[in-house]
Amino acid sequence: MSDPKNKNSKLNVFIFALTISVICSLMITLAAVGLKDRQTANMALDKKKNILKAANLLGSEKLKKEQISQLYDTRIKEVLVTPQGEIIDTPMPDSMRLYYFQDNETLLGYILPINTRGLWGKIKGYLAFETDGQTVSGFSVFSHSETPGLGGEIESAWFQKNFKGKKILNSQDKFVSVGIAKGKVANLPEEQRAHYVDGISGATLTGKYLSEGIKKTLVKYDAVSITFRQKQLKPVKKNIDYSE
Amino acid sequence: MSENSENYIEIITRGIWKENPVAYQVLGICSALAVTVKMSTAIVMGIALTTVTAFSSLLISLLRKKIPSNIRIIVELAIIASLVIVTDQILKAFFYDISKQLSIFVGLIITNCIVLGRAEAFALANKPLDSFFDGIGNGLGYSLVLVLVAFLRELLGSGKFFGFNMIPPFFYDLGYQNMGLMVLAPGAFFIIGLLVWLKNVLPGVSKEER
Repeated sequence: MSDPKNKNSKLNVFIFALTISVICSLMITLAAVGLKDRQTANMALDKKKNILKAANLLGSEKLKKEQISQLYDTRIKEVLVTPQGEIIDTPMPDSMRLYYFQDNETLLGYILPINTRGLWGKIKGYLAFETDGQTVSGFSVFSHSETPGLGGEIESAWFQKNFKGKKILNSQDKFVSVGIAKGKVANLPEEQRAHYVDGISGATLTGKYLSEGIKKTLVKYDAVSITFRQKQLKPVKKNIDYSE
Repeated sequence: MSENSENYIEIITRGIWKENPVAYQVLGICSALAVTVKMSTAIVMGIALTTVTAFSSLLISLLRKKIPSNIRIIVELAIIASLVIVTDQILKAFFYDISKQLSIFVGLIITNCIVLGRAEAFALANKPLDSFFDGIGNGLGYSLVLVLVAFLRELLGSGKFFGFNMIPPFFYDLGYQNMGLMVLAPGAFFIIGLLVWLKNVLPGVSKEER
């Protein structure tokens, strides 16, 4: 039994297992380390793309990598604010991140990062508002792990475009947030239709968590929205460097 | 040479039709339920699985004389898992959009019993090229079922085909409704069950031993 030439001998089993483990781990490590730079670059670009998408600045034509970066640099400005909604120059423990989108001379709106639990994992996305501080101008999802074809539909264009034009204030100017309806918006009472988007069939829970997450984010950034409703804000001129 | 290529065709068609992995071997059912709500996801999953099954069968068959039989399942799993992870990494680096679309499918491939099933049942006992084509055949057979199920589920459940509306609006005006059951997992169970039955009554099929 312990003849080393026999492939089923104990020694051979150990040697084989060891070799396979080493080869497999080497392969995976090589792939992971060697491709890391490209992957991080891709992810950073994808994030920019989704911020632009939330702000409706990404047309239907396919842009090259450099064009996306350039569009992002000219139109989007990252800002940090205090919980009271004032822009600050240096990061603080309780500061919150958001993005302004603007033309050269005019501020067009602001984008809030959404980071919430979904059914299977985190949903990360962006919700953009117009300068009136209450009208949604777009929504995009950056990463999620929902079931493809069901909850994963939050990624699709038909779902995201429904957010455009929805209001987070009701007719009495009270905060109501925007949410995902169970089923179609058309079946809701008239006064609720401005605050809901069509749900995804078979993905009730994803919708529920996303609605909750959006509401939480909006409450957290309430001061920012209020500032927008009250004042005519100016665009941010230069990039503020938040690196320490 | 011509005898060889005929043999490969025979191996491939066996995977696609005679011994279809889903309808005959009843493997890979769980993923067939998960990804068949829409045509597009079903097709992507089919392509991904075919590729992985083909190459894992090829590798395992190359090593078949060396693999100690008492740890063979662990070895097969190690090879399949590494292959899938490396593929995933490459996709993320060079085809980021596709990899985003595939999302968790790539990980799901490791757990798909067809890959391990073919390694066990075929690759361990056959020549590398035969095993490679066996992988392709079974992958295509799986894709075929996936696409069929997805076609029916998308059409009946959402009234769409590749995301385009197929049911004319006046149908809805007359009271036609999409079948909500088809969007959920039980819908796939019914369709797959019917397909298995249909396949068993059609000719040219290996009958189950009684």
